[in-house]
Amino acid sequence: MSEHSFSSAWRAQPLGRRNFLRVSAASAATVALVATTGCSTETPEPVEADPHQIALPSADKGLFYYGYLLALALSTTYDKILASPPTDLTTAERTVIANMRDHQLVYRELYHYYIDPTIGGALFPTDFAFNTATFTLTTRLGVLAAVQQLADLAAAAYPVLLPLFTSASAYPRALLLKTVSVQARHAATIRDLRTPGSFADSTAVEPSTGLLRTKTPAEVNAALAPYFAPYVISVANLAVPV
Amino acid sequence: MKLLPFLDRLAATPAATGNAAPRRALLQQAGRAALAALPLALGTTQPVAARTQTTAYDAITQLLQLERLQMTYYSRALTTSGLIPAAQVADFQRLYDQQLQHVALLQNTLQTAGALVPAVPAFDFSGRKNVATNPVLFPNVLSNYDDFLALAQQLEDFSVRLYTTYAFINPDDAQFAKVLLRMLAVEGEHSAHVRGLRRDRGVAVKTWPSSSDAPIVRPAAAQALAAAATAGEDNLTQLASAGVPIVFSDFLNVFKFTSVPDASLAEAFDEPVVDVDTTKKRTPQVIAQAALDLFS
Repeated sequence: MSEHSFSSAWRAQPLGRRNFLRVSAASAATVALVATTGCSTETPEPVEADPHQIALPSADKGLFYYGYLLALALSTTYDKILASPPTDLTTAERTVIANMRDHQLVYRELYHYYIDPTIGGALFPTDFAFNTATFTLTTRLGVLAAVQQLADLAAAAYPVLLPLFTSASAYPRALLLKTVSVQARHAATIRDLRTPGSFADSTAVEPSTGLLRTKTPAEVNAALAPYFAPYVISVANLAVPV
Repeated sequence: MKLLPFLDRLAATPAATGNAAPRRALLQQAGRAALAALPLALGTTQPVAARTQTTAYDAITQLLQLERLQMTYYSRALTTSGLIPAAQVADFQRLYDQQLQHVALLQNTLQTAGALVPAVPAFDFSGRKNVATNPVLFPNVLSNYDDFLALAQQLEDFSVRLYTTYAFINPDDAQFAKVLLRMLAVEGEHSAHVRGLRRDRGVAVKTWPSSSDAPIVRPAAAQALAAAATAGEDNLTQLASAGVPIVFSDFLNVFKFTSVPDASLAEAFDEPVVDVDTTKKRTPQVIAQAALDLFS
C-alpha cells in the first residue's frame, strides 16, 4: 500500500467558477441548477427569496447531481477524518479510510464530468458544503460510526439509482454499475471494523429475502439534509424509483 | 417484489453481452420445458448471429449455478468439523443463509416463467470433477481454513462480477435489474468480509480487489477461476462512449487537488467478467462457464 503523499483531496470551495448557478426565474422558491459551458466568472445571483433552496434537475442530469452529492458527502467526511485522525484510529484503519476517500473522490469527479464534460468549475455556490460538525470525528468509535452511516447510505442508494438512468446514459450507467459492489464493500469493511461480523447483518440485508436494504433518493436526501444546511436540496424532479 | 415484468421479458430479445456464446446445450435443455412456448426458444427461425447471444435465461441459470456452488461450499465447510473457527461459524452461517435465499429467488424466477431449472451439479471442490484419478486443482479447501478462505474469496469475487455482468441483461426491466443489483451488493459485502478474514490472518489482501493483493496461486488447469474472478481488475481504461476512453487525468490531477494513485482508480471499479485476451473473442458467459465447469 503506497502512502498518500498527494495533496488534500477535497476543498470546500473548488477552483474556478466558469460554471455557475443560475437562479431560476420560473420558480418562486427554488434555484435550478444549470451547468453551462460559458466562461463567466461571476458568482451566482441570489435574486430569489430563498437562495438556499436547490432543486436538482430532472432526467439523467439530476441523477448525476444526486450521485455527486452523495460522493461529496462521503469524500468530505473521509477527508476531514484523515486531516486530523483520532489517535486511537490504527494505521491500518487510516489506510482503509484513505482508500475509501480516493474511491469516493473518483466518483465525485466522475459525476462532475458527466454533468459537465468540460469540468469548468464548481457546481454549487461557493459556501455550499457538507458540514461534518455534528459527527464525532475525534474518537475511533465516533469515526467508525460516522463512516458506517455514510457507507451504508451509499450502498443502499445505488441499487435504486442505477435502474433510473435512461438508455441515453448507457455508458455512464455501465461504468457506475461497477461501483455498486464497491460501495457495498466499503460498507461491509467499516461494519466489520466497528463491530466484527456485522457485515451484511439484518440491519443491512433483509432477513426475509437476502437482498440488500435500499433507500430511495428521497430517503437518502432526507438523511443528508441536516449536513447540507442551510441549503435545502430537492430531489422531487428525479425519476420515480421502481 | 414484482417479478412479472421480468418474467414477461425473460425470453425476449437477447441483450448483446457478447457475440460468440455456444448456446446449443442450454437450448436443448430448454426444449422440453414450457419455455418452448416463450419467445426465448430462439430456435431455427433466428439468424445465426442472434443465437450466439447471451439471453436472460442463460444469465439467470448461470447465476443460479454459481449461487448453488457457493451455497454448497459453505454447507460442506460448516458440516466439516474443526474447519471453521468457532468465532467465525456465525459468519459463514450467514453467508450460507443468504446464498440459499439467492438460490431460491433465482430458481423461483425460472419456475414462475415456466423455464427449465437446470439440475444441481454434483459439485467437487477438489477440482477433480468427481474422478478420483484427476489431478487435484484446489487442495485442502475443505480441510485447511486458509485454503478454504482463499477459494471462498475467489468464488465471492466471481459472483460479484457475474452479477455485474448480467445486472442489465434485460435493459428495459428496471425492477429485475434492481433485484439483481441488491443481490450484487450482498455479494460485495460477502467478498469484503471473506477478504477481511484473510487479511486478519496475515494475507496481503484488501477488502476490494487491488493490484496490491497477494495472488492466489493455482495450477494452470485452474486458471479459469482467476480469469472469471479477478482477471482485468487492474483496468484503468473506462469508456465515455463507444471506443472513446474517459481521460481521468483531466479531472483527477494535482492541479485540481483531486489526484489519486492509479491503484485507487482501478480499485474504484469492480469489473464485470471480461476476457483479458481479446483475440479469442470469448463472451463473459463462456469465461464464467469455464470457471463453473472446474467444480463439476
